[in-house]
Amino acid sequence: MAMRMWASSTANALKLSTAIRPQFSPAFSLSRCFSTVLEGFKYANSHEWVKHEGPVAAVGITDHAQDHLGEVVFVELPDAGSVVSQGKSFGNVESVKATSDVNSPISGEVVEVNSKLSETPGLINSSPYEDGWMIKVKPSNPSELESLMGSKEYTKFCEEEAGH
Amino acid sequence: MRVLTRSLEVWRLGVLNYLEALKLQEKLVTDRKSGKITDTLLSLQHPPTYTLGKRQTVHNLLVSESQLKSMGAELHYTQRGGDITYHGPHQAILYPIISLRDIGFGARKYVETLELTMIELASLHGVKAHAGESGETGVWVGERKIGAIGVRISSGITSHGVAFNIDPDLSYFEHIVPCGIADKEVTSLKREVDSDLPAEELIHEQLISCFVRLFGYNNVIWKDNPSLCDQQS
Repeated sequence: MAMRMWASSTANALKLSTAIRPQFSPAFSLSRCFSTVLEGFKYANSHEWVKHEGPVAAVGITDHAQDHLGEVVFVELPDAGSVVSQGKSFGNVESVKATSDVNSPISGEVVEVNSKLSETPGLINSSPYEDGWMIKVKPSNPSELESLMGSKEYTKFCEEEAGH
Repeated sequence: MRVLTRSLEVWRLGVLNYLEALKLQEKLVTDRKSGKITDTLLSLQHPPTYTLGKRQTVHNLLVSESQLKSMGAELHYTQRGGDITYHGPHQAILYPIISLRDIGFGARKYVETLELTMIELASLHGVKAHAGESGETGVWVGERKIGAIGVRISSGITSHGVAFNIDPDLSYFEHIVPCGIADKEVTSLKREVDSDLPAEELIHEQLISCFVRLFGYNNVIWKDNPSLCDQQS
């Protein structure tokens, strides 16, 4: 894992694109738990992220989550038009014979679902913040974002979990 | 130095029908999520039962559902991960209903520790088992599968679990492609051990002990044949 973090920071310095880096380059912080945590995203304590993109918010799982899951082989997502609620499950991923529920960090209506994940579920592992996005939601209650963690808090949260 | 108490309540349920076990697990998962109960482990066996995972890989069932019925077996579709498998008498099943967040485990670490639990049990009987290679989660003796895993994790609480073959009727596996892996055999502890096996009850206890140790519990509460009605209060 240390090698991957080094490769990630070197790649960023050289502006190289590697399989494990998102295609864009926002500022990012290298957490001491060796998973990537991005600025400008909000995080739930169940390891999902949400990013506002205008009237719509994209949702996925974090680098920390995908690493702890193992290789994702199957993803089940809701249909567009379904309603999601903060803290409730909206779908699940399968890895290592484990089906893990994924919870929505915000409430609202699902306006788009990442159909690439049915053919290529591994995008969740290789690009958890970019190509591995899971659903896009029209938030029904934007103030919910305030109850989520920012990148620094989430990084600390991961460290505390790892300390068990 | 303060030692953190990690408590586990172990329920020894004997032979329990699949659907009843599922209903019980669902209740326990809800209670565990709300903190009403502590980590719980169900130890049991099923009557002849085939189960499918979330992906519903029915193509790995090689006979019709009506043929299964005439064999005296049930078929169930479940929400767990993993492919098709068989459960039956003389197969030790563990369904842990535990909080992974309490120990900071993700799915991968949880499943690896379940594999280790069965590997340790096998080694108590002189059998060298190992975890599967990537994509082949489970426990193997050489190229033969002795233990299967299929779990569900919801808000960090686990359900479903493992099945370890002590001495089940292995011919039941001929009606499926076990776990979707076509060219590998299924085996049992009975097949892999030269001498007689001790009483099955002892082997179930050993499996529970391996689980307790590997998951770091230091306080075990035994509940034998608990009345399922207790849980309605």
